[in-house]
Amino acid sequence: MPPAALATAPVADPIAADPIAMEIFSNRLLAIVDEMGHTLIRSSFSTNIKERKDCSVAMFDAAGRLIAQASHVPLHLGSLTGSVRAVLASRTPEAMEPGDAFICNDSYLAGGTHAPDISIVTPVFVDGRVAFFAANCGHHSDVGGSVPGSTSHTARSVFEEGIRLPVLRILRGGELDTDLLEMIAHNTRDFEERILDLKVQIATNQRGGALMADLVARMGHAEVTRAIDDLLAYTARRLRRRIVETGDNQGSFTTYLDDDGYGGDPVPVRATVTLRGDRLSVDFTGSGPQSRGSFNMPRNALEASVYYAVKAMLDPDLMPNQGMVEAITIHAPEGTIVNPRFPGAVGSRANTAQRVAGAVIGAFCRFLPVERRVASGNDVMSTVVFSGPANRGGRTFVYVETIGGGAGAQWDGDGTDGVHVHVTNTSNLPAEALEKEYPLLVEEYALVTDSGGAGEFRGGMGIARQIRSLDDRIVCHARLDGARRGAAGIESAKPGGRSRVVLDKGRPQETQAASKIVNLALAAGRSIRVETPGAGGFGPPERRPPARIAGDLAEGKVTRAAAEADYGAAAVAAAASLVAASLVAASLVAASLVEGTPR
Amino acid sequence: MHSRIGFDVGGTFTDFVLHDAATREIRCFKLPSTPHDPSEAIGAGLSQILAPAEIGAGGIEPSRIGRIGHGTTVATNLVIERKGARTGLLTTRGFRDVLEIGRQTRPHLYDATVRRPPPLVSRANRIEIDERVLADGTVLIPLDRAGVERAARRLAAAGVEAVAVCFLHSYRFPGHEREARDILRTILPDAYVSLSSDVLPEFREFERLSTTVLNAAVGPRMGGYLDRFLAAVRRLGIAAEPHTVHSNGGLMSAAAVRELPVRTCLSGPAAGVVGSAEIGRAAGFPDLITFDVGGTSTDVSLVADGRPLFTSERLIAGYPVKTPMVDIHVIGAGGGSIAALDEGGALKVGPRSAGAVPGPAAYGRGGSEPTITDANIALGRLDPAALLGGQLAVDADAARDALRRRVAVPLGLPLEEAAHGIIRIANATMSRAIRSISTERGHDARRFALFAYGGAGPLHAGELAQDCGIRTVLVPQEPGTLCARGILLSDVSMDFVRSVMELTDPAGWPGIAAGFAALRRDAALWLGREGIAPAERRYRHTIDARFQGQNFEIPVPIDDPEATGPDPFLARFRTIHRQTHGYDIAGRAVEIVNLRVQAIGPVERIAWTPPPAAGSPGDALKAHRRVYFGGGDGWLDVPVFDRAGLPAGTRIDEPCVVEEMSSTTLVLPRQSLGIDPAGNLVITLA
Repeated sequence: MPPAALATAPVADPIAADPIAMEIFSNRLLAIVDEMGHTLIRSSFSTNIKERKDCSVAMFDAAGRLIAQASHVPLHLGSLTGSVRAVLASRTPEAMEPGDAFICNDSYLAGGTHAPDISIVTPVFVDGRVAFFAANCGHHSDVGGSVPGSTSHTARSVFEEGIRLPVLRILRGGELDTDLLEMIAHNTRDFEERILDLKVQIATNQRGGALMADLVARMGHAEVTRAIDDLLAYTARRLRRRIVETGDNQGSFTTYLDDDGYGGDPVPVRATVTLRGDRLSVDFTGSGPQSRGSFNMPRNALEASVYYAVKAMLDPDLMPNQGMVEAITIHAPEGTIVNPRFPGAVGSRANTAQRVAGAVIGAFCRFLPVERRVASGNDVMSTVVFSGPANRGGRTFVYVETIGGGAGAQWDGDGTDGVHVHVTNTSNLPAEALEKEYPLLVEEYALVTDSGGAGEFRGGMGIARQIRSLDDRIVCHARLDGARRGAAGIESAKPGGRSRVVLDKGRPQETQAASKIVNLALAAGRSIRVETPGAGGFGPPERRPPARIAGDLAEGKVTRAAAEADYGAAAVAAAASLVAASLVAASLVAASLVEGTPR
Repeated sequence: MHSRIGFDVGGTFTDFVLHDAATREIRCFKLPSTPHDPSEAIGAGLSQILAPAEIGAGGIEPSRIGRIGHGTTVATNLVIERKGARTGLLTTRGFRDVLEIGRQTRPHLYDATVRRPPPLVSRANRIEIDERVLADGTVLIPLDRAGVERAARRLAAAGVEAVAVCFLHSYRFPGHEREARDILRTILPDAYVSLSSDVLPEFREFERLSTTVLNAAVGPRMGGYLDRFLAAVRRLGIAAEPHTVHSNGGLMSAAAVRELPVRTCLSGPAAGVVGSAEIGRAAGFPDLITFDVGGTSTDVSLVADGRPLFTSERLIAGYPVKTPMVDIHVIGAGGGSIAALDEGGALKVGPRSAGAVPGPAAYGRGGSEPTITDANIALGRLDPAALLGGQLAVDADAARDALRRRVAVPLGLPLEEAAHGIIRIANATMSRAIRSISTERGHDARRFALFAYGGAGPLHAGELAQDCGIRTVLVPQEPGTLCARGILLSDVSMDFVRSVMELTDPAGWPGIAAGFAALRRDAALWLGREGIAPAERRYRHTIDARFQGQNFEIPVPIDDPEATGPDPFLARFRTIHRQTHGYDIAGRAVEIVNLRVQAIGPVERIAWTPPPAAGSPGDALKAHRRVYFGGGDGWLDVPVFDRAGLPAGTRIDEPCVVEEMSSTTLVLPRQSLGIDPAGNLVITLA
């Protein structure tokens, strides 16, 4: 719905006790979590947090209700919420002291979503009582376990996935438990980076806590409490209205993982979304069994993925707080890939999270009006990990990168090429930063030709990233899903291109490898190339305007052969004549088309 | 001393400030901008200054104009409106899509309809060249010169007017880019060429690429604009070399702007901050938070110890630009921001804006939604008749009606409480921005004075200062034309940078000193080209440093690199790190990333027309008016003063309104107003 329509919608529901105070408070709260996020990213040491921004921060009230999250990685909402719940389950607020901070990561013991995401939770005291919890989590590039990076699709249990942290008090009355910190850090492959980053995480919460205490001192505790209640009630009311407006509906969508980490059949992820009155439920009955490998998804990750998809489809500007979850019920049968039993491995749960988001969005598209539908995006978490000796300092590095792909086409435009979708939005590591720190050489970073699903509007293109080893001791993993089937098109459009992994591309020994590889030794001079999936198209290909086909041909995003197969020889001949008439004209057409897309 | 002219070309108005050396008088006025060709409004304004017969004022001989400086949004507008030149790109084999993929992130986490801006160079015109340099600057694959020739011919056939060249690690080894440039010059002699190693010799390829492409894309049109602008100036008989303010608040010649137009993207706003710093320092307030409220947006920035804070990166229309610039935080809340209830019952102010058209409901140009300006009118804070000296017709009833229908009635609140709620919410948004430039950077806002300007800054400053715990508000004369005035207070200056990436140790320090010496040689050459005599030249040295392993550098000012050893530098680095990040790490190595030299050619300062030396505030009293203050104060009948009549040394200990041509200042209950010798309003909070 366009913003103008929102702004003038009549207000029938009861309004907040004090809408003006609520809006002012909400601004102040966002300033606090923004500042926490800024501190965490600017002062951390690992490339994964400082450069790729694979971290999140949030503020909770004393009851563990989420009151604000800074916008970084939607999936992290799971770890943040889960870890605060776990802290509250581990002891009463009375058993906490000012200057305490807790650390945890385990998905079965402490509400985590996979071991590398380590949370720090810090109680914030007002008048001698716990009033809030400041929380943040960062994806640490390694937490030990059987492989560098700690997430192997072949892990069979959480015991292979690195150090397991239940809720532990790492800061006691302001005093850092250095024994505990050292123990944790020395169970990982880069203890120095762990120690530094964990200290930054602790400092981040202290900063957030101080700002929160200051806000209470200025506004008064009673007014802050009322504003929080107003804010959560407002968010809940706003989502319920959206559900009511959408009307009673039901839709299902099934998407598939290629395998469960040990080959075999594709694993379905099926979501059924039901709207009744002002309630929304999501049922995952029909999803595949618990994964033998590490694609299992802990409850908190599942919730975060569902909340992401609901917000994206119903109200993108809805504030991420506890009010958002009230109207939503989630059912996931135990023993499935979306609700695993202990000690099922969970390291690669982000890939499943992308599938879950894709399935919920697909289910919504069964009944939402056409202008709000979107084709499937690449909907996977393409991951590469490299480990070996760092260029400087004599330490072992672990470099983790998740690579974006195509975004789904929409009713009025092509999908975005080469971008992160759904539950993640981490940055890439610049080639110049990577080559400075690690003995690796980026040979190519590009869009994959012909990977966008054909349609009236084309799906976004996948990304190719080709990296050469400069050191015989380099070991790497690659984990690419979407190698068996492409992202689904919508409204009669075609699917997007599939992922693939190629070793030694362009050299005599070039081979296509399995799309999931673990512990591959990459001697100096050898290279690995990953190509991530494209996205599905929107609308019948025969309706694609010749000018758009011409633009794709001129820009080399689509080859002539592929265009003929998708759009028919006649349409392509018409488009090609545009190109042939003048390459200049065609590139202008392309440019003007691109200019027309943003709204 | 020669007379000087400063002017700032904005989206709606072009502001002019003239300092007449003979009479020591200052004149400022506004003319509507002419966006189709900004030099038209410039020519008209200059003619008004020079050809007084038509307006009946005392005129100035063109030959008496000694300095002329301007702020321009031409480069920024070319980007925003995507009217840049057709541009080609040469880049390292394998990397042409970096421009499109960027950092692979999406602009809105949840809303798929918010798309990335399209790349400024179409994929067909992004050509990969065989060449490769490693991170240490060594050449792995030599430049394929024949490939560059082929690419140049292809781009020539495609009719490009500009070419950007960006090869990997060129900040370490610019040789390949320079070779490519020389080849391009032979095949595309008329094309505008930008090298990434010239525009931004720093690592991280996407940001460097994006900045270089932007520079190339705006280069040709910027050149055309400069030609017309210079012609207009010459036609009027002005012989002085016109300067342009660039994003760091310094002035540079037209020749320098031609080479680095991307450096002007924050031109006018930077001049405003520099002017604020200068006026604040003269008034005894070296620590300021600047606060500029315009029609659609609000700019805030921080001045510490008399110097603006700088940053190196921001987005222009969604494209990253990395150049040294005044660290200005922009938020989408200004006088035209619309207040509306959303369907959940929350009152939101902005980011939608009524803009100039339809404008606030009170302007009667078709706006039906209430804006911040309408709220200020309804509360009696803004006198409809006083806007721009009465040149603007304003309908106060229309403002009240819009507020009543859209906000007050649905919320069940009296009109004034609803209007005041809108102001308070806008202030909360603005105070969030102030926090992000102060506390987020380790500065306690309460130690700073709030320096308010722009048409509406002085209206909001009193309440905003209360919100942020700020004790003093400073309002310069004619706050609505401060950016133009800032141009008269700017120095000629330019930044020079060199990437180093070395750990700090005594053995390596001579290398650092030598690096600075080389930068200073470049800086001296530049100052020479700008016509600054050797005795007048000044240099500021800064080291960007971080703890080894960190990613974000902290600028550390140092006095004299030869005299300063590594130890004083390290001590200062640790102090600043503690201040900005809250901790430091004993014993950890410190990495020097960039050396920076700012070359400065000081420009003589001028003082504004002083306020009357004698008289009483009563002489300046225009009227009394009912103004709503909220809280326990409600509506109060307060005096309204004409600023020009308030003498120096005035002290008023009651709420009041002060009006002048370009702005209105509101003084709240329990605040007191003073006039300092320079004519600034100094509001003190209890």
